[in-house]
Amino acid sequence: MNWKGIFLAFAAALMVPSGASADTIKVGIVGPFAGPFALAGKNFKLGIDAYRALNGEKVGGKIDVEFIYRDTGGPNPAKAKALAQELIVKDKVDYLGGVYFTPNAMAIAPLLEPSKTALVVFNAATSAITQRSPYIVRTSFTMWQNTVPMAKVASAMGLKKIITTVTDYGPGIDAEKAFKKTFESLGGSVPESIRMPVKTTDFSPIMQRIRDSGADAVFAFLPSGPPTLAYTKSFIDNGLRDQGIKLLTTGDVTHEPDLPALGERALGIRSTYHYSLAHESPENEKFLAKVKEIAGTLDEVNMCAVGAFDGMHVIYKMIEATDGKRDPDKAIAAAKSLDWKSPRGPVRIDPQTRHIRQNIYLREVAKKNGKLINKEIQIFADQPDSGLAPTQ
Amino acid sequence: MTSASIADSVKEKKTTALSSDLIGTLAIAVLGGAAYVVFPDDLGLLTRILAAAFFVLSLCLVTGICGIATLGHAVMYGAGAYAAGYFCVQGLTDPIALIVVGAMAGAVMGAVSGAIILRTSGLPQLVLSIALVQLMHAAANKASSITGGSDGLIGISPAPVLGLFAFDFYGRTAYLFGLVLLVCVFAVLQRLVRSPFGLLCRGIMQDRVRVAAMGVSVYPVLIRMYTISGAVAGIGGALIAIATGVVGLDSVSFAWSAEALVMLVLGGASSLYGALIGTVVFMTFEHFVSAASPFHWLAIVGALLIAVVLFLPKGLQSFPARFLVKLRGGRRDHSS
Repeated sequence: MNWKGIFLAFAAALMVPSGASADTIKVGIVGPFAGPFALAGKNFKLGIDAYRALNGEKVGGKIDVEFIYRDTGGPNPAKAKALAQELIVKDKVDYLGGVYFTPNAMAIAPLLEPSKTALVVFNAATSAITQRSPYIVRTSFTMWQNTVPMAKVASAMGLKKIITTVTDYGPGIDAEKAFKKTFESLGGSVPESIRMPVKTTDFSPIMQRIRDSGADAVFAFLPSGPPTLAYTKSFIDNGLRDQGIKLLTTGDVTHEPDLPALGERALGIRSTYHYSLAHESPENEKFLAKVKEIAGTLDEVNMCAVGAFDGMHVIYKMIEATDGKRDPDKAIAAAKSLDWKSPRGPVRIDPQTRHIRQNIYLREVAKKNGKLINKEIQIFADQPDSGLAPTQ
Repeated sequence: MTSASIADSVKEKKTTALSSDLIGTLAIAVLGGAAYVVFPDDLGLLTRILAAAFFVLSLCLVTGICGIATLGHAVMYGAGAYAAGYFCVQGLTDPIALIVVGAMAGAVMGAVSGAIILRTSGLPQLVLSIALVQLMHAAANKASSITGGSDGLIGISPAPVLGLFAFDFYGRTAYLFGLVLLVCVFAVLQRLVRSPFGLLCRGIMQDRVRVAAMGVSVYPVLIRMYTISGAVAGIGGALIAIATGVVGLDSVSFAWSAEALVMLVLGGASSLYGALIGTVVFMTFEHFVSAASPFHWLAIVGALLIAVVLFLPKGLQSFPARFLVKLRGGRRDHSS
């Protein structure tokens, strides 16, 4: 290549078209779309597609929205930050959405203020995230939000002595703290808190410890997937249920995609969570019908799809409020006063924390038409995120 | 040939080696600088490539030069990242000091882990290295008061470089800072690889018993190289901690160690250039493919790796050489 050629290449590279026309809003979605966590990414996309199918491809019938998906793989803050940076600087997105893992959200947060980009977190559930930048809104849940009601339920059931067993990583430790603090403040006692290594497959020794402690019940948190199955199986096979020890969990343990594998033995397990596929409302019916139409089945649908669906609602409303112009301050201000009916029930954005306030449901695994579901039996209305920055 | 002419030719060889080193280093500086100008919107990716380059170079020192089998190299990278991050959160915010901290942490981790895994060789060594990285991963998760556990170590906000160049959200400062570091470290490593010490290491790789029979004590030599390698990996870790502002458990993972090995093999394990080429090609390819097909890109990357291993077993760096040989009439030189 001669010098002229090099110069031309240079010039071409510098003259990258600066953004699309004004009536197209670009939204960058970062999440785990390939690899071991792809189920979550798939649900993000399902939620987005379902929302667009139900509410129109264009915001307010006139503003086009373009989506750019970027795969972060697993928890990888360096990659997540680089991808978000590229979406902002190169693709010139107006909004960011998605984010499954806490460290990834933490890495993206510092980019938002200097670049004036709003981020809607669809999942990452550590309380402190929304405090890292005033441009973050979250439509998922936090461990505190889901766990505190369970401690209240336990107290109302008249249980006095409960052992906590959680997976030894960030969310597990959050759950343990939330349960312990709430339950003790209600007069119960938590004599022992067991943290189970992330890759535990044999839970028998833990079951033995629970039995020996003479506790009335055990609170469990494990990330959804194979460990929850092994844990529940171990709980029953070691005779703890027959001995009358109650199992209390968050909805992660009775995650709908895992229920068929848990089978009949799961019947009666109680959990608290922000969304059940079996939630009875016209919004949820409409949502699930659309999801089924897009995905062909509901077997792989989980709370990430709802997080994304509601995240899209927030993004659409922000675009409407700013009339398709890039004005993140106005957009965030609009997001702060949103309340709407989500498939999970009535929700609103807390103007102080920019985190979603929602009903938390006490559910019980039950059988309906031959299928295992999480049947809602009690509602804790309008729950805030009660766990601001317990640890970092 | 008289002894004087031998001395002359040795001298000449030395100077050509020196000048080719110089050209190589300059080429990296120029290419790095050009990348900055041509791709001003991709500095996030480019900075990640720089950090990975340190890591793969460091792996090249032990695997390519000494023949040490390891799938746990991320312990040193992670040590550098966490040390730099931790000190920064504690108030030591000067980026150059943080790089030094990272290098030292990596070196210490290299010396300690080297002392363990270098006791064995071959398959047991590989297994030990995996065990080490898994242990460190678990330890980093457990020590969440220091490392932040699975939520990541956050709040790393380094001061401007030399008090002048603040870290911006475009990643300009981070990239240039990393590039300068890489050029300096690369120049040093080239000298190291050519030094008697470097040659001794290559000798150990080729025939450990023979080197031992010459009266060299192999174990301390390898530990020295492992420690140096640790320092280089630590610099990479510290750089990414500074550039990202968050250190996650992925920096001490088995997956990251394995990915580095893939990049090294892709480029060609036995040369520092191979390490750089492998890193740049792999990460760029991964970036483009994952952007083009965020849902299925892993399969495409897998296909590339299979193709390279099948058709270019000595890595991408051997491609020009093979190409030249073909041009000259198909004579193949397998020893190159």
